[in-house]
Amino acid sequence: MPPSLVLLPVLIPLAAAPVALLLSARPRWQAGWAVGAMATSLVSSALLLAHVWRSGPPLVLAMGGWRAPFGIVLVGDLLSAVMVVMAQSVLLAGILYAVGSREKVVAYPTFYPLFLTLAVGLTGAFLTGDLFNLFVFAEVLVFSGAILTANADDPYGTEAALKYVYISLLASAALLLAVGSLYVAYGTLNMADLAARIAASPAGTSDQPLLGVAVALLLVTFMVKSAVFPFHFWQPDFHAAAPTAVSAMLSSVVVKLGVYGFLRMTTLLFPAQRPQIAPLLVALGIVGVVYGGLSAIGTHNAKRMLAYSTLAQIGFILVAIGWGTPLALAAAVIFTVNHSLVKSAMLMLAGFVASRAPVKTAAFAVVQGVGKAMPAAGALFLVGGMALAGIPPTNGFISKMTVFRSGVEAEQWWALLLLGVASIFTLIYVTRAFMRIWWQPPVGFTYAGKTFAADEIKAKPYGDRLLAPALLILAVLALGLWPTPLVDLAMAVSRWLGSPAPYIAAVLGS
Amino acid sequence: MELLTALAIGSLFGIAVFQMLRRNVIRSAIGVILLGNAINLFLLSTGAYRGANPAYADLATPRSDPLPQALVLTAIVISMGSLAFLLSMLYIVSARYETSDMDEVTGLRN
Repeated sequence: MPPSLVLLPVLIPLAAAPVALLLSARPRWQAGWAVGAMATSLVSSALLLAHVWRSGPPLVLAMGGWRAPFGIVLVGDLLSAVMVVMAQSVLLAGILYAVGSREKVVAYPTFYPLFLTLAVGLTGAFLTGDLFNLFVFAEVLVFSGAILTANADDPYGTEAALKYVYISLLASAALLLAVGSLYVAYGTLNMADLAARIAASPAGTSDQPLLGVAVALLLVTFMVKSAVFPFHFWQPDFHAAAPTAVSAMLSSVVVKLGVYGFLRMTTLLFPAQRPQIAPLLVALGIVGVVYGGLSAIGTHNAKRMLAYSTLAQIGFILVAIGWGTPLALAAAVIFTVNHSLVKSAMLMLAGFVASRAPVKTAAFAVVQGVGKAMPAAGALFLVGGMALAGIPPTNGFISKMTVFRSGVEAEQWWALLLLGVASIFTLIYVTRAFMRIWWQPPVGFTYAGKTFAADEIKAKPYGDRLLAPALLILAVLALGLWPTPLVDLAMAVSRWLGSPAPYIAAVLGS
Repeated sequence: MELLTALAIGSLFGIAVFQMLRRNVIRSAIGVILLGNAINLFLLSTGAYRGANPAYADLATPRSDPLPQALVLTAIVISMGSLAFLLSMLYIVSARYETSDMDEVTGLRN
């Protein structure tokens, strides 16, 4: 395989976005073009994953022909390839949902181009081997998501996007300060070169006082990116106000950028600082699991509930990364992939219900009882809910089981107890959402000045399409019934992350 | 020179954070601008003391490091775009609530 294969998952959506903008006069062509571009891009990233998984060493592409420590490199190693395939599968499902959606924002001429640049930002951030380049791709990601949300049908979309842009600007500031600190201390921004130089001058020596500052700033950056507990306050507003197709992406794959950052920090860049980083990740993860679960029980809106649930599920991943044993890292990867599939499907189903509710919102008071007319969505929601709570035969069971097993192996009994208790919260809020939408009779409500009596509440006969969530739930069931390939892949990722030396050799040697 | 740069960066950061926390939307946008400038100055200072000449101008004397200058250039472009977007959103939100006080923008709290 030529190393340029690693460029394709970034280049295809990047080249397709301006073309999609030119097609804005013909909305159907534009939608078809976006679906085609995303599908092609997914094929190229799947080829990348297949190649890297089979052969082992990463594909390294030196952009513009400048060798590794000097120029910018794209590195397609096993972790990046898994993240990219996961992200692009979910993004393709998101575009499919948007095609079948009746939201006004989908008819906006720059909707599909911005969706494609969202894919560029996410894919590029996963594949780049340069810290400053990571900043650039993260900005592309932030602004694509913010513009899409600011134009949402939800009346508070602009406010939520404003909040997100402010907090993201702070995260960007932290990332740039970390970049500057690392550059002045080590004279390089290439991640492999940086890892080699940090390992050569270990911590504790007084010659690099800026290292600790850089670690702290990078931690803050990635915590904002994946909405970890003290930096989470923008997330439920932003994810609930976004258009359904976009909120399904934001709450599933976009938050995984921070998870990817934590994996890279603890295994590649700062393995010597692991003992200081790991307890923080475990503690914040457990706080996130408990707080997210309790908040999800306390909300009155299905989309908000799922956004808070993301807070809890990211917590599980952080705890696994914090434990850091080979099995725990594999569990983190399995949980990351499974959560992306489940959460995007669940948000799409919540949006589907909202699109057919008498008033377009996912508030429980409004959507209560409207599910009677859509049993298929109810069945999909039930399976997705089982996956969120970790009940077999869904992939959520596999991910929770591997996390708990790695905890038993690492003998973290207190953490396991708290995680087990918090898992019950998931069961409570998912069951309650299902009961209220599909089981209980509708009650009258007043929303935005209009009053509806209980007997006038009927689901609209038209709404969004169910294809995309159905495909995702199919993947959820398939990965639950036949988990071996994913588990093998995650174990291979975990072995690859075991030592930073092969990564450094592959990048700097070429 | 080092002391002067350090003082400039530090005071810019202080003013920026203070302004960003103000309730007036324009003041908080000014805070964002100042924060961007403080970071750019910090990035520039990481390569400023290796020599006074520009890179490749004169190979005999010590030359300044060109990489931070390239980083700053990129960061300026990005911060300009993000500032334009931020200002347009502040305009929409303040027009919708007919106020310039961020504390009165309360749509999401209910």
